[in-house]
Amino acid sequence: MPETTLNPNWLAAPVVIPLLTAALGLFVSYWLRLRVAEWQYRATLVGTFANLGVAILLLVTTLSGERIVVQVGLWEAPFGITLYADALSAVMLTLTAILAVAVTLYSRGTLDDRKRLNYYPLTLFLVMGVNGAFLAGDIFNLYVFFELLLMASFALLTLGGQINQINAGIRYIFLNLIASLFFLATVGIIYSTVGTLNMAHLALRMPEAPRSIQLLTAGMLLIAYSSKAGLFPLFSWLPDSYHTPHPAVTAFFGGLLTKVGIYALFRIYPLIYPGILQEWQGLLLVVAGLTMVTGVFGALAVNTIRRALTFQIISHVGFMVMGLGLAASDDPIASAFGLTAGIIYLVHHMIVKTSLLMAGGAAEIIAGSGSLLRNRLVGLRQLNPTLTFVYFIATMSLAGMPPFSGFISKVSLLQGALNSGHWAIAAVSLIVSFFTLMSMLRLWQKAFWGKPTLSASSVSPIDEPLRQWLTLTPIAILLVLSLALGIFSDRYFRWSEVAAYQILDRDAYISAVAPTDAIEYVDAYAGAEHE
Amino acid sequence: MNGLVAALAVGMLFAIGTYLVLSREQINLILGLNLYSYAVNVLLFTSTTLRSGVPPIIEDKQAFAGEITQFVDPIPQALILTAIVISFGITAFLIVLFNRRHTLITNYVTVELPEQSFVANDPFSPEAHYLTGLDEDPEDYDWLEDTLTLKT
Repeated sequence: MPETTLNPNWLAAPVVIPLLTAALGLFVSYWLRLRVAEWQYRATLVGTFANLGVAILLLVTTLSGERIVVQVGLWEAPFGITLYADALSAVMLTLTAILAVAVTLYSRGTLDDRKRLNYYPLTLFLVMGVNGAFLAGDIFNLYVFFELLLMASFALLTLGGQINQINAGIRYIFLNLIASLFFLATVGIIYSTVGTLNMAHLALRMPEAPRSIQLLTAGMLLIAYSSKAGLFPLFSWLPDSYHTPHPAVTAFFGGLLTKVGIYALFRIYPLIYPGILQEWQGLLLVVAGLTMVTGVFGALAVNTIRRALTFQIISHVGFMVMGLGLAASDDPIASAFGLTAGIIYLVHHMIVKTSLLMAGGAAEIIAGSGSLLRNRLVGLRQLNPTLTFVYFIATMSLAGMPPFSGFISKVSLLQGALNSGHWAIAAVSLIVSFFTLMSMLRLWQKAFWGKPTLSASSVSPIDEPLRQWLTLTPIAILLVLSLALGIFSDRYFRWSEVAAYQILDRDAYISAVAPTDAIEYVDAYAGAEHE
Repeated sequence: MNGLVAALAVGMLFAIGTYLVLSREQINLILGLNLYSYAVNVLLFTSTTLRSGVPPIIEDKQAFAGEITQFVDPIPQALILTAIVISFGITAFLIVLFNRRHTLITNYVTVELPEQSFVANDPFSPEAHYLTGLDEDPEDYDWLEDTLTLKT
């Protein structure tokens, strides 16, 4: 185990803290006969802030280039459970923690928790599953944490109990479950052919496996992950379900869930299938381009504000996969640059998309309808100027205007594509950026300009000053973060570069986890027994 | 030979599961999903050598000298156990959802349609929203529930 300045057991904390605080909120408040929703909210605040602290600790440690590894129960690498964190994991953990804090505050402002029993513990379970997926060191644990976060998301999606939520929930569960079973079948095939599930061990053994097995497992994993991430032919579950739950849930899902699939793609392919990744560069770039184009045209076609915003998630996932496609090059510098650009886009997207979905949701709550055709969601500029300002900033950041993080993320992707000579994907990404701006302006014109049809004295659920503050502050915090990342973009770029180089350095991953060979281990054990 | 039988079983289960999942009846959807998870479980089971009568532990530790034919790999069994628990939980949740959907639809149906029973049994049908009479626009979320309780 490598020497680290940090006690590696902190790695368990991002899984344990949300679990314990969720259990606290679920059980203790009932036992003590307290006001359940109130105490669940307090426990969740404590849990999310503690989670944020631990995530920042891990981020500071890993950004210096360290890798943190825990072999749970001191079982040697391929036999036990391995938890692993490098800069990419730590960045994702920190973003998850920030989004969890923001969404908890926003939920307090917008949602009636007496109507949605156990909402807060469920968000903590979701955070636990997501954190575990970012820390998993073997692919079976990755599957298990995928299922945990899906289970929590099923419950959150259908918590309102409305008919359209249940219909959407059934579609979401079916398509996600089939993708999960596909993933599990791949795990079985990998174990029966290569004989291990530990990612470091797989990185050692998979390049020596027959080509047919490499192609089969890489292809099946690509199908499973791209279904989770919402890539081109397999995204239909996402825009069909994300607009139905409460806006707080939509914001959380939009920021987190598809990005777990992207994380898995970023983690597994450069590590385990470096050769196949290079062969599939064309495929990845084509899929990325098609995903961008379908997403943005979908956003232009639909007539509900949150539905348009969720279609844009798909379009942006295409940009991240474009980063992975650029990383699939045999030139190490181009490869690192592409992956860096992908990570930059990932970070930017998680922050800005969540704030935008929160702002759009708040607009929908104030107007009482998210439909652009019903003539209720009009003229919010006069009804709520603060929200209008915040929404405008979020739009500018998403469209890629210079002082915000959207600018550097789009510029670095473009530069990566042009430097490595991929003119077609660069052109597609530029055109898609233009259409993104167009779809954002369409929402802006319809919802915020114009004369309000609601009277100024009409009551909306977030009119109380406290609720107003709790709704708008988290959005503002996320936007300040986006602005900071845009202004200090040199540091932002360098940190993403650290993460990209750590992902591409396969040997360092293998030696950090240090998987032993089975036969040697059993022999040593038998010898010790005989003496 | 064992392997061939297992491979055929996995193929059959996947095929039947696909047939059922493509149907429009709720019960078939649940059964199809379960057959999928059975297929994957059998697939996981075949990822080790299939030998009958051999335990997944080393029985005589003193006499053991590293011959892996004395025991079968316990890992796939552990994987299957986990997978069974997960798919069981999700199936239970799905059944609750289907039940809730059934309750909502039978209580709120106001529109008479010729193929009403057909649509009511199909959660993927876009017309399902209109049956409820709750919402004019199937894309829009119904805020009634929240606005009524938050402020008076």
